Amino acid sequence: MKNNRKYLYLLVLLPFLVVVFFFEVLPLLMIVFNSFIPDAGGSFTLENYVTVFSKPLYTKAILNSIKISCISSAIGIVIAFFGAKAAHEATGKFSTAFMTVLNMVSNFAGVPLAFAYMIMLGNSGVLLELGRTIGLEALANYELYTTHGLTMIYVYFQIPLSTLLLIPAFEGIRREWQESSLLLGAGPMKFWTQVGVPVLLPSILGTISVLFANALAAYATAYALLMNNYALLPINISGMFVGDVTIRKGLGGALSVVMMILMVIMILITNGLTKKLQKGVRKA
Amino acid sequence: MKKHHTAAHITIVIVILYLLTPLLFTATYSVFEKWTGLLPEGFTLKHYVELLTEEDFMLSLGRTVLICIIPILLTILLVLLALFVVTIYFPRLEKYVQILCMIPYTIQGVILSVSILSLYAGSGTLLDNRLVMLIGAYCIIILPHIYQGIRNSMHAVNMPMLLEAAEMLGCSKLHGFFRVIVPNIISGITVSSLLAVGIIFGDYVLIRNIAGTSFKNVQIYLFLEMKSSSTKASAVFVIIMVTTFLITALVLFLKSRDSKGKLQKGKG
Repeated sequence: MKNNRKYLYLLVLLPFLVVVFFFEVLPLLMIVFNSFIPDAGGSFTLENYVTVFSKPLYTKAILNSIKISCISSAIGIVIAFFGAKAAHEATGKFSTAFMTVLNMVSNFAGVPLAFAYMIMLGNSGVLLELGRTIGLEALANYELYTTHGLTMIYVYFQIPLSTLLLIPAFEGIRREWQESSLLLGAGPMKFWTQVGVPVLLPSILGTISVLFANALAAYATAYALLMNNYALLPINISGMFVGDVTIRKGLGGALSVVMMILMVIMILITNGLTKKLQKGVRKA
Repeated sequence: MKKHHTAAHITIVIVILYLLTPLLFTATYSVFEKWTGLLPEGFTLKHYVELLTEEDFMLSLGRTVLICIIPILLTILLVLLALFVVTIYFPRLEKYVQILCMIPYTIQGVILSVSILSLYAGSGTLLDNRLVMLIGAYCIIILPHIYQGIRNSMHAVNMPMLLEAAEMLGCSKLHGFFRVIVPNIISGITVSSLLAVGIIFGDYVLIRNIAGTSFKNVQIYLFLEMKSSSTKASAVFVIIMVTTFLITALVLFLKSRDSKGKLQKGKG
């Protein structure tokens, strides 16, 4: 009797399961399933994947996505390292101000961010005019609507995210270590390369995989800046399902699966490196 | 040691300046007639007056608020019920609920939006409605944040003990849950729903892919406006950013009040 009542409570779980099933599990399963069905009709094949990896348009999108994600994550993590280090060493007011700004701009991405960059560095941007007036060629000829320009905008939104993720890790660096290494004759440079960075490496690697995923999935920023005129995974994927052209579920599905696999690969790489490092630490 | 501080402070100032520059430029741009030379010319607030008296813009603001509130309330209710049942009656299922709640972290907006769209658009079912699809998608996107917020605060209040006490005083478990536990974790729920507001407010990909221009929120409004008038768009930009900052400030305030109130018990 009591047991029956207990199972009655499973009904309370039902609404949650229904929403998750219809809007998360089923759509995901279907997109993976569709990626194996040719758009022209027919049965299970790998045709869509062959197209994705052989047509220059799609391989270019994949390469551009990987390139932009890697570069923006690399620059982001370096700046975040120095930023988080500074937050760790700074005194009260500076560090509070820094944290506030980081939190504030952590939601500054997508369409508003692209727009701000267009105002600043677009073809008739404010800074370009400034460059022309003072005769600074590099600034006057800045090209925002290119891979380079797009990457720089990505770098912007990677900085607050990565710094906020790294700051807690620096709490693990004890001041005594710095003092004792100083007593043993190691300068700050040596301390950071030999002790600091290796200790932080698991957090750094974890942050890199978050940054990579964040850049890979970013759609609004790129679309607001370049519309559909640029080969990038999220833009190409959306293009397959939305718009005036015929909808291509199969090809779009295959591109989506490729994007998910890229994220998983990045997570596996960083996890693998972290594990390898921890093993090395234990041996030492 | 002192030199140390100076270097750190300089780094912080540089990064802060870098991060604030685009905001300051665009905000300045919004209060001037034009900025084509070295300095902006003709201070004016007319872009703001124009916007705030325009029905189209006010409607898009209203839509944004609406599309924030519905999914958040829905998700909170779903997660509360699910976690209640799972922690009290089926602890073994907790792991699976957690996995389901964390998956959206890795799939993100683009894939979620196109997979929902391709499944239900034109299907002729109950779910073949752009607004229903959008609400469902938002529920999933904010799910990890709401779940973590609620679960962390449930762990912090020692739920089984409180429920036992409520039962001894003659309350049913479900009643006790909503009258004792929920009021105790309401600040945790508030923080995570504010984070969710930030996410939905800043979203563009889901709304564009699923609803298109048929449900014009402020992000879509900004996108369309920046193609035609950059001065007016910059005023929309400022309104969006100010709202975002207010939400973040509220989150920071609630968090600091919380951690002051309790002993700092790990990260929330």
